[in-house]
Amino acid sequence: MFLMLFGLLLTGMPLAFVTLLVALIFAIGWFGPMAVPLITSRVFSFVSSFIFVSVPMFVLMAAILDRSGIARDLFDAMKLISNRVRGGVAIQTIFVAVILAAMSGIIGGEIVLLGLLALPQMLRLGYDRSLAIGVVCAGGALGTMIPPSIVLIVYGLAANVSIGDLFTASFLPGVMLAGFYVLYVLFRAYFTKGVVPDPDPEIIPLAEKIALLKGLILPLLVVTFVLGSIYGGIASVTEASAIGVGGVLLATVVRGEFTFQLLRGAAMQTLATVGMIVWIGIGASAIVGVFNLMGGIDFVSSLIIGISDEPLYVLLFMMLILFVLGMFLDWVGIALLTLPIFVPIIVELGYDPVWFGVLFCMNMQVSFLSPPFGPAAFYLKSVAPPDISLGDIFRALLPFIGLQILALAILIMFPGITGR
Amino acid sequence: QEVSLKFQSSDPSGDPNYQLYKEWADGVSEETGGKVSIELLPVGAVVDFQETLDAVGAGILDGHVTDTSYFAGKDAAFGLIANPVGAWSDPQQMLKFFNEGGGKELMNDLVEPYGTHFFGGTTPGLEAFVSKVPIEGVDDLQGLKLRAPAGLVQNIFAAAGASPVNLPTSEVFTALDKGVVDAADYSVFHVNQAQGLNKIAPHPVFPGFHSMPLIEFSMNKQKWDALPEDVQTTLEESVVELAQHQNAALADKNAKAVEEAKAQGATVHDWSDEERAKFRKIAIGEWEKQAAASENAQKVYDTLTAYLEKEGLLKAQ
Amino acid sequence: MTRDPVAVDGNDPDLRSTSEGTGDTVPEAGALGRGIEWIGYVFAAAIVASAAALLFEIFMRYVLDSPTNWVHETSIFLCAIAFIYGGLFCAARDSHIRVVLIYDALGPRVRAVLDVIIYVISAISAAFFAWASWLMVETSFWNPSGAFHMEGTGSAWNPPTPALLKGFLLIVMIVLAIQFIVLAVNHARQRGSRQDA
Ligand code: NA
Ligand code: NA
Repeated sequence: MFLMLFGLLLTGMPLAFVTLLVALIFAIGWFGPMAVPLITSRVFSFVSSFIFVSVPMFVLMAAILDRSGIARDLFDAMKLISNRVRGGVAIQTIFVAVILAAMSGIIGGEIVLLGLLALPQMLRLGYDRSLAIGVVCAGGALGTMIPPSIVLIVYGLAANVSIGDLFTASFLPGVMLAGFYVLYVLFRAYFTKGVVPDPDPEIIPLAEKIALLKGLILPLLVVTFVLGSIYGGIASVTEASAIGVGGVLLATVVRGEFTFQLLRGAAMQTLATVGMIVWIGIGASAIVGVFNLMGGIDFVSSLIIGISDEPLYVLLFMMLILFVLGMFLDWVGIALLTLPIFVPIIVELGYDPVWFGVLFCMNMQVSFLSPPFGPAAFYLKSVAPPDISLGDIFRALLPFIGLQILALAILIMFPGITGR
Repeated sequence: QEVSLKFQSSDPSGDPNYQLYKEWADGVSEETGGKVSIELLPVGAVVDFQETLDAVGAGILDGHVTDTSYFAGKDAAFGLIANPVGAWSDPQQMLKFFNEGGGKELMNDLVEPYGTHFFGGTTPGLEAFVSKVPIEGVDDLQGLKLRAPAGLVQNIFAAAGASPVNLPTSEVFTALDKGVVDAADYSVFHVNQAQGLNKIAPHPVFPGFHSMPLIEFSMNKQKWDALPEDVQTTLEESVVELAQHQNAALADKNAKAVEEAKAQGATVHDWSDEERAKFRKIAIGEWEKQAAASENAQKVYDTLTAYLEKEGLLKAQ
Repeated sequence: MTRDPVAVDGNDPDLRSTSEGTGDTVPEAGALGRGIEWIGYVFAAAIVASAAALLFEIFMRYVLDSPTNWVHETSIFLCAIAFIYGGLFCAARDSHIRVVLIYDALGPRVRAVLDVIIYVISAISAAFFAWASWLMVETSFWNPSGAFHMEGTGSAWNPPTPALLKGFLLIVMIVLAIQFIVLAVNHARQRGSRQDA
């Protein structure tokens, strides 16, 4: 089954249809045509699950955010704290990325935004090209590491653990990863000659300072409302996601940016995004159903558990599988194919599934950057100057992948960072 | 020649009730002398919990162990027979109805057209009522702000004079704690206790007087009919036994939890038979409305009220 | 100032295979594909409506203290039809995620043949699912005695959304099968004309 899955995948057939086709072939081959409704039944159940409503909400929120000037103002405001150190603009970019990440749960919009705002400025100021590219891609990818996060939401659904707990547990690790990026930038800035330009502390007049600070108000309000309503236990994650949409929309109205075109464009992008995400989920769900009826989950589980008596090795083996899959597959496919098998094993081994969720999320950070299938690189390529090739981008990302793996290793060694 | 069957449960694999049903499934092979073996799968393993009736009928699954009210969208009768809110004060009353009082025949009138056969039922138990204020009877429900899931439960509490609010299960604790509601329909006593509800709402009513869901054991009708008669009897008996076992285990856990709650300062309230009958009368008014939804629902209503009448459960002195 | 950064370079072939919703309907999808794109507005609006409904519920529950009984089921339904339609929408845009590792390394002619085969197989699978959806529609629109009764959610409000969704899934599966045939035919034609040239 898995061989057929990977064989078909390599033909370039869309993932969603590969999984549906494999489910169909096995349903008919193993049980006969009468078993096919099992697949459509799972499709129906999958799309009508309430918690999945939060997925289009977070996507819509990010799509609106991308189309407004909120992020640009945020970037300008961050100038206030960054123009005194070496590598200031790169650090400023990471700070902005963290705040954007706390507002939105996906990565594409953030990378494109930073690619449009921060990359040209860094290149103009004479920053090392690789460092600038890496900061934008890795910083933008933080969108799914710092809550809210669509990756954690999908994990929570697949693993049947509280999404609120996942958000709480991933906050510090996300900030820690961002901290690593900042330290790396500082290290390069102070120890490698010519990587960044000398700081040029321009004197910003007080009036302008206040104007810039205003740019922080709306984003911070949105963050406060969304995260506040989740952590404060007032609203469910789904409702909080709707609050996020309302908040961002209100912000565009306040700023005089709201137009019907803006909303329509954002909604159409959302439809296309969730169409892809949900259909991959549909396909994976279909395969899992057929596989369970065949008694297959037990089989693969026993294979993985059989790797070693030492739980740590089993865990590391899973991390390796996730890493390898991350080179070739989008994170949604990885989540929905592996989690129904991995999570029960994790629980059986006595590990905390929420902590494993954070590990999974960190691993998906790597998957955004790792070649040959690296969505973060693809996004940056779509807005970068033409002389920057995909190869350049992937090379620039290697040290950042190293930092992500370091963060993953630290999370495995010190689970306490997740608060669990 | 062993017949191996795949059943799907409506509980997740971590649920203690699932563990009990799993033990039952694992024991079937031995009890039938190796003629039948049953593999129990957790909720959602093959199809969603609301889809198992169709899947068992179509032969995709061989059977299911499920809360019958999940099929209320297909026929209101399923909602009424699965949880006639207020009908039972004790699991034994309900089990007696299904085993001897015509309940089994009624269930089969409902499910056999869907291609499944009902061969036994159990219940995870009578839910205990969670409250911050002392509730000694129906009169105390007047104006009480309480959480109840949408549907029959909510309608009945409204008819009794309370103001029910629909909140997701996950929000019950905070809502009680912050005083958004003063009482809640939640779960059986020991679960309420374990989740700390009796601490923030120290006036539980136990035994409860409202919800007690039916868990049905059914399988594909063709496959059932193909089984030898002695195997059918064994399967039926095994579920009766399981129900008693489950009940005893629950009573045990509840008793311990009651002691624990009392030690924490909770006052456990028990309604008199008169008050229970009063609540049941109000409930029946709502069942009547439910009965109008379909012919089968009317049949459930008629059979159930006749049975309660015969057993003397409707007398309010 | 409004910008549309993601859409600017939406036809980037690398981006087409990620999960973040870029791109436009491909020419090979034909008139049907353009129709699917156009009707997409309705389902994009459904997502916005769903957000509005949820905000209404939050307002009713936390401000007016009188929660509704219809918002949750309505928002589920609106999103569910958008999810189902989204698959068709992405098929017309050819924006479903694929692994292009080997595919990209192939010559254009092999790739064209592969495309046609992929679309034909996809069309056959979609037809199978349409048939299976029909079996679900039968049980959700008629009760076993043959009387018309649409399956509801079983809640107090009990809207017939499960039946409607199953019906919608049937329609989408049929259109999806046709869309794949259109894509297969147009790709085969292109290959033919390329060989002629
Ligand atoms: Na985020
Ligand atoms: Na990757």
